[in-house]
Amino acid sequence: MKVFQPQKRYRLHPGYIAWILHRVTGILLGLYLFLHIWVIHYLAQGEQAFNEVMGVVQSPLFLILEVGLLGTVVYHGVNGLRVILVDYGNMAKRDIFRKAVYVTFALCAAIIIAGGIPMLMHAFSH
Amino acid sequence: MKYFGSGRSGAFDWFFQRISGIVLLVTLFLHFYVMHFAIDGPITYEKVMVRLASPGWKALDIVFLVFAIYHAINGFKLIIDDYVHSTVLRAVIVGLLWVVGISFLVIGIMTIVNLKVQS
Repeated sequence: MKVFQPQKRYRLHPGYIAWILHRVTGILLGLYLFLHIWVIHYLAQGEQAFNEVMGVVQSPLFLILEVGLLGTVVYHGVNGLRVILVDYGNMAKRDIFRKAVYVTFALCAAIIIAGGIPMLMHAFSH
Repeated sequence: MKYFGSGRSGAFDWFFQRISGIVLLVTLFLHFYVMHFAIDGPITYEKVMVRLASPGWKALDIVFLVFAIYHAINGFKLIIDDYVHSTVLRAVIVGLLWVVGISFLVIGIMTIVNLKVQS
């Protein structure tokens, strides 16, 4: 099959960075989902098995890693909404597109900081 | 081989990725609220089972699971569309995605269905 290679390489403009991050967070979330289903399947193995595995994934190390999960989910969700608004709303307009990307980044940062600080405080209070 | 090649338009995959994404935003927010705000302290078997004793929650969790796995597998497939152009390699990888997706769907549904709830 003939594949058309791009004539030019894209510069690292905000929309491109948003796309890369969406792809990377998507892959991470996909891998996390399968890990999550595997961990939670111990629920059907009874109380002892489930509490044992939950003890591991609720240790301070995992609680810190969970902040990363929060960031990954929040970015993929908020940017996903932006992508839908590019497709069906007016965010593809030249003068709005770049601003929408910056608003997405800012909104994500605010949510991650607001959620991450209490999570870290909880993790370190153990 | 047409199904695994680039012969399909992929319009449904593209469109339903947006629909399932919106569904997941709602269900994931609910999931997050229930697991981290409605439940106090570390999550234990007992606390989870209180909620999962209700058939409504079980049904909702299965819907959530189906949408999450669909969105993840379809997302991986959309990435394959971008980078893998050989028909044979595509068939292998997309076939593998089907196997992984269905396996985890079965594991997830079996977990929810097989719970030994004391009521």
